[in-house]
Amino acid sequence: MAREITIDPVTRIEGHAKITIRLDDRGEVADARFHVTQFRGFERICQGRPVHEMPSLMSRICGICPVSHLVASAKACDRILAVEPPPTGADLRRVMNLAQVVQSHALSFFHLSAPDLLFGFDADPDGRHLLGMLQANPQLARDGVGLRRFGQQVVESLGGKRVHPGWVVPGGVASPLEADKRDRILAALPEALAATERTLAWYKASVVRWEEEAAHFGDFPSAFMGLVDADGAVEHYDGILRVVGADGGLLAERHDPRPYWEYLGEAAEPWSYLKSAYWKDLGYPDGLYRVGPLARLNVADRMGTPRADAELEEYRRRLGRVPASSFHYHHARLVEILHCLERLEALLRGPDILSPRVRSRAGINRNEGVGVAEAPRGTLIHHYRVDDHGIVQWANLLIATGHNNLAMNKGVLQAARRYLRGDRLQEPMLNRVEAVIRCYDPCLSCSTHAIGQMPLHVRLLAHDGAVLQELTR
Amino acid sequence: MTGDGVLVVGYGNALRGDDGVGWHAAARLAGDPRLAVADVLARHQLTPELAEDVARASLVVLVDASADGGAPGSVSVRRLQPRPDAVTGWTHHLDPAALAGLAGVLYGAVPPVVLVSVGVASFAGGDRLSPALRRALPGVVEAVARVVEEQGRA
Repeated sequence: MAREITIDPVTRIEGHAKITIRLDDRGEVADARFHVTQFRGFERICQGRPVHEMPSLMSRICGICPVSHLVASAKACDRILAVEPPPTGADLRRVMNLAQVVQSHALSFFHLSAPDLLFGFDADPDGRHLLGMLQANPQLARDGVGLRRFGQQVVESLGGKRVHPGWVVPGGVASPLEADKRDRILAALPEALAATERTLAWYKASVVRWEEEAAHFGDFPSAFMGLVDADGAVEHYDGILRVVGADGGLLAERHDPRPYWEYLGEAAEPWSYLKSAYWKDLGYPDGLYRVGPLARLNVADRMGTPRADAELEEYRRRLGRVPASSFHYHHARLVEILHCLERLEALLRGPDILSPRVRSRAGINRNEGVGVAEAPRGTLIHHYRVDDHGIVQWANLLIATGHNNLAMNKGVLQAARRYLRGDRLQEPMLNRVEAVIRCYDPCLSCSTHAIGQMPLHVRLLAHDGAVLQELTR
Repeated sequence: MTGDGVLVVGYGNALRGDDGVGWHAAARLAGDPRLAVADVLARHQLTPELAEDVARASLVVLVDASADGGAPGSVSVRRLQPRPDAVTGWTHHLDPAALAGLAGVLYGAVPPVVLVSVGVASFAGGDRLSPALRRALPGVVEAVARVVEEQGRA
């Protein structure tokens, strides 16, 4: 008798989703799916709005990564205006984007995933929370809170608000950086760097406990995609889009990544509101690839900053040149935090960072524009068409979580096959299935939806819909 | 001058009508000479990242909308006890007592924390307060200033 297990909602992720696991007649996992159950519709909401409103409007997509949407949207608008931001304007966009990566990665690592890494996947869920972490490892908890605070304060000091700042605008940024703000950020950097290095040391010492999970949490060969700069270093704002295969071999380099429709396809399934992007040459669904921290480290030759490069060297010594397990997103995320802090410091110490020339102004000079940048969770693409008056007629967004959708589904299936046994549900095995999803840190845009508690509700159903078992926490 | 070391946080959803009363109050308090040296913040939620600010303050005043049955525009003021045991969720926000508790556990200091609650008329979408809350806003500001002044005399 075929049966179905539903995990609804999936907890400790950004947004609302559920997992369905279908068992066959023998009680073994036949299929597993990750469903995104919320609908946003921003591509429609923005139709009819003036293009200059787009960055502000699009930043409302998410309360965790609003800066990524600001940046990708502003870059699409730059194309429509046919302008390049002044160098300082571009650098200030970079600073804000890097700060957001720091705070977003800190949220993912410390708040959402560290409890599993600290207490174990078999631990009582009632103890896997912030207070438990405070008691077990107060320094780790303080570092997590401190790093997120640092990133938020940089975003706030630049944009006036820590959530949905409107400071990134078409043509550059709205106002120059003031010296006292720069100096305050620089003064806070040493502690942020120290907190990151303490956390990396803790993670590297702890991760040996999780070799079994690392081998079954989305461990499969795939392509990886991300931006690099002209020297092959990790890049978050603008650069060459590089795709490598599972063996690290170069599959493609797009010096102009904007015509994404030439190399990426988009597929929709009736069971999820999240579309799946795929590499066109390989078709759907074989064209699976991954984006985000793991992918950025896999596609890049180097990080491009000294401390992060030393960590990358150790990371590759431990895990190989192209780690395949999605478990290693956690490690990659920490290396990226270190890189972002170093890069941020270099940019803020630049001789022209206080220049008043931060914005180029122009009217509507094109009817179409695409912006590509790296968000915390991976490559982000905004594509707009406008009429001659600059009124948005059409928009398409390709977000990081959509790039990773096929990989997340494959990872859930792999973990379910490994950890689910028979027709009785136990919390630790369900936590492992959920934890695969948390590796990717999917952002399902929680900002306008979350009411706080997101209990885990699991149902085991017979083929006729009868509830065989129900678990809640 | 009062307000030295005082942290005032008005919080709520500024786009949900009266839920934004904390933001409106914070905007007025930021320009109030009686709180010239206080730190006045407006936030969507109370988050763990505020714990360090709380621990460093000599007094914390939180301003929030309340849907607990008070008449629209009614203002209540109460001292909170820190509750570190309430820090259990994995969400982005904390309740006021949990925030105070977190400050104590993380940074070893909890100043007096006072919650100023304002009864609401409507959480309908929009960035404007209802007429009842607009009328009540000066009273909210006075209530916060009074708490700060009393603390300064203590």
